[in-house]
Amino acid sequence: MHRNEIPPGTLYLLILKTLARAGQMHGYEIAGSIQHISENVLQVEEGSLYPALQRMLIKGWVKAKWGTTAGNRRARYYQLTTAGRKQLETELSQFERVIGAITRVLQTA
Amino acid sequence: MAWLSELGRRCWMLIRRRQFDADLEEEMCLHLELKEQELVRAGLAPSDARYAALRRFGNAAALKEKSHMAWGWERFEQLVQDVNYGVRAMLRSPGITIVALLSLALGIGAITAIFSLMDALMLRSLPVKDPGRLILFGDATWSGISDGFPINQLYSYPFYREMQKKNQVFSEMTAVFSMTNRVHGSVEGRSEAEPINVQLVSGTYFSMLGVQAMAGRTLTEEDDRTRDGNPVAVVSYFWWTRSLARDPSVLNKKLRIGETLFTIVGVAPQEFFGTKVGESPDLWIPLSMQKEVPPNFDGYGDNFSESLYLMARLKPGVSMGQASADANLLYQQILRGFPDAPLSQENLEKLRQTRVDLTPMATGLSALRRQFSDPLKILMAAVGLVLLIACANIANLLLARSTARARELAVRQALGAGRTRLIRQLLTESLVLALAGGALGVALALGASRLLLRLVSGGQEAVPLDVSMNLRLLLFTLAITLVTAVLFGTIPAFRATRLQLTESLKEGRGSVSAGGRSLLAKALVVSQIAFSLVLLVGAGLFLRTLINLGNVDTGFNRENVLRLQTDASSVGYKENDPRLAALYQQIEERVGALPGVRAASYSLFTYNEGSWNNTVWVQGYAVDKDNNVKHNVVGTHYFATMGIPLLEGRTFGSQDTATSPQVAMISETMARTMFPKGSPIGRHYGRIGPEHAGDTEVIGVVKDAKFEALQEDPQTVDYYPYSQQLRYLNDVEVRYAGDFDAIVPSVRRAIHDVDHNLPISHVTTLDEQVGRSIANQRLVAQLSMFFGLLALFLACIGIYGVMSYVVTRRTSEIGIRMALGAGRSSVLWLVLREILILVTSGVAIGVAVAWAGDRLVSNLLFGLKPSDPVTLMSATVVLLMVAAIAGYWPARRASLVNPIVALRCE
Repeated sequence: MHRNEIPPGTLYLLILKTLARAGQMHGYEIAGSIQHISENVLQVEEGSLYPALQRMLIKGWVKAKWGTTAGNRRARYYQLTTAGRKQLETELSQFERVIGAITRVLQTA
Repeated sequence: MAWLSELGRRCWMLIRRRQFDADLEEEMCLHLELKEQELVRAGLAPSDARYAALRRFGNAAALKEKSHMAWGWERFEQLVQDVNYGVRAMLRSPGITIVALLSLALGIGAITAIFSLMDALMLRSLPVKDPGRLILFGDATWSGISDGFPINQLYSYPFYREMQKKNQVFSEMTAVFSMTNRVHGSVEGRSEAEPINVQLVSGTYFSMLGVQAMAGRTLTEEDDRTRDGNPVAVVSYFWWTRSLARDPSVLNKKLRIGETLFTIVGVAPQEFFGTKVGESPDLWIPLSMQKEVPPNFDGYGDNFSESLYLMARLKPGVSMGQASADANLLYQQILRGFPDAPLSQENLEKLRQTRVDLTPMATGLSALRRQFSDPLKILMAAVGLVLLIACANIANLLLARSTARARELAVRQALGAGRTRLIRQLLTESLVLALAGGALGVALALGASRLLLRLVSGGQEAVPLDVSMNLRLLLFTLAITLVTAVLFGTIPAFRATRLQLTESLKEGRGSVSAGGRSLLAKALVVSQIAFSLVLLVGAGLFLRTLINLGNVDTGFNRENVLRLQTDASSVGYKENDPRLAALYQQIEERVGALPGVRAASYSLFTYNEGSWNNTVWVQGYAVDKDNNVKHNVVGTHYFATMGIPLLEGRTFGSQDTATSPQVAMISETMARTMFPKGSPIGRHYGRIGPEHAGDTEVIGVVKDAKFEALQEDPQTVDYYPYSQQLRYLNDVEVRYAGDFDAIVPSVRRAIHDVDHNLPISHVTTLDEQVGRSIANQRLVAQLSMFFGLLALFLACIGIYGVMSYVVTRRTSEIGIRMALGAGRSSVLWLVLREILILVTSGVAIGVAVAWAGDRLVSNLLFGLKPSDPVTLMSATVVLLMVAAIAGYWPARRASLVNPIVALRCE
């Protein structure tokens, strides 16, 4: 199956949305979830998730704490903060505006 | 506020960065493992699954770095690395480091110490409200009491009141007595009198300056309203501490000065030392009380007793020009308006031409500043040169080291380090060196500034100047340190990173840039030598000035004279009281009769204590030039005590009494200029006016003696016996034989036998007093000598370092020369010749600079011209000799090269 790269700039949005839906996840789950829900169309370059998560930690959009996985392994779980939720809304509305605009351009015959 | 919490998170990360890296590592590992398991479940072979997982993940190391860098501490961590590396590099070559640190510490320490004194003396604003709006009438170069007309440096109290009332430009005005009254007083209930410095001020003094009392109140206009009406005083924080041990019940305590009990009404704040930098009064007393404060001047109501400095605060929006116009207009009006103004045609003309110059006084008044600002500037320049020499030296050492490190740097560049990155690292190393030197320098400056203050003070008691470390000083030192780091670090850093990689890697010792490097190094040495020569010439000039001053014939014999001061005015003797003469005479007799004492005398002045001068009129001598004469009032044995030889006539004796004809003795120069024909003995002259020309008879002529300064030309001086010109005399001179320390207690006892209340102070020797009068010349001579030697030493290290390097580089060449038959002496000459060329060019430049620059110091010199050939020659010879010694060792090493070893080395 052909896989598509995530459009630049939307990685944060995807992570934020994923976390908003799931509550808390570790890195591997976030990557898996994005891939799964997008029905394997969107492909996160898995490693690039981590620098992005670090930047989100700095911004205070997410917070992290250590927990245990189902397989009894130590993993770092990420969780949205209030600031993160606000950021999600901003990014979402911005994304919709852009997409809407692109769609309009494309649909105008 | 979001950025603040973000900064907080970033800092947290910095502190816990090892933990963060470990967390990230663990997280990524988990990810890879889970992926691998997933792929295995999907049917991949375990070994393939591992690679597939890694491939999907991307470059883990790069991602880790990227995550790490996301926190934004990259630069900082590099800096920490570089600093670490710099410290290690310093420790690796301890010799270089010690020399560099030492020269930096000395240079930076000295410059900081001198700056701290400059700061305290010249730059710091008074600790008062808005000091930038304060102005002074005149420039405070005069002090004392004048009765001249018209005077524009000192003002009378009535003039102050008129100016205060009529001006439109000042929000407030105040008047300050131009001298400090050094009196003795005692806190009520104590018997012992203590020395107290009183500053007489008008009632507006504190309010104009905007200074609030720390306890109680300050002086007010009310205190200054009625003559002798308000015996009140504000005490300084220091006196309160020193004399009352900060007694909280200080207010309303009584203080006896002379006949009067003063009430302490307030304590001034700790940082307030008055308006004269370098003097801090113990007491402020209103001018209305001046007659009650010894020596009991009485100028409160006198229109032409000019003794005050006037200060004022400009009204908001008023410019200096407007203020000056108004003040000058009023100056003319007020002086003309006084009913007792001596408005002769001549005086009116003089008045028309006299102007009052207003000067800003944000930094306060200071006699010390006048005396020491030139010397300090010169020393600053000297120490700046020393620092430059030190920088050149360190640059050279770093150049030498970077050659040794060429291989290391080449390896780094080959491994991908950018040039800017390497330059940054090398500069950081320089900065570490400079900061370490600067820190040592600050430590050094703490001690040095105190030493400097002692040199400036010139006597036992230190001038009250605050030279302690402060923020401004630290910033100055930091700036100097950074500048030095840039000066000595930049060129070596750029040099070291500019190399052809392959050559350096191949050869190990980069020979490519060697030619350029040694040229640069030699240029640095030449400049060092030039600067050193300039400093040596300066030091030589100042030293010779000091020697010349030491050899000046003072006219008196400065050896074996004890001198002290007594203060009869503070213990109830009145100025015209015959008891005063009796007191002086008894003390002279008692002290003079002590074993080991040859002679003793009272006098108004000894040396360098100011002057009392007037115009005199000589009978039968037309007034066609300046007939200003300095007066001294002395006891019978003054000339024997001081060792001033009598040239003609007789000295004072018991026949010269209060009722006998007025007599005087005159100086050689006065005899020659005012009595040009025949002997002056028996001729008459007088002060005050032509009608008094017959008042005083000349009975003797004495040799010229220095009056106020060693540099002065022979003065016209006359001497009166105190039996006929009775006034307060404070100076006692005692010519003694034997040990100073043994004679002092017996002299004290003899004086207290006559009056046990009489305060004694300022016990010293005449020699010391003479020495103190040339404190600034001594300061400049000693310090410039020190800096000159330091510069010479640094230049030697420079020469030695560079020549050692040159010899090392040329070892193989020398080997070949010797193999081909060159003798040791010719090899020695080969190296020495190079040194000679360096030194000669340095000297040539230095001589030119010294020649051009030494006119700047001419007013600090005495008895020689700035372009003094002897000094120039000796500085050159010293430099050549020392350079030859510094260069001899490398040259000798070159001559001892074993040709076989040298050639095998290649």
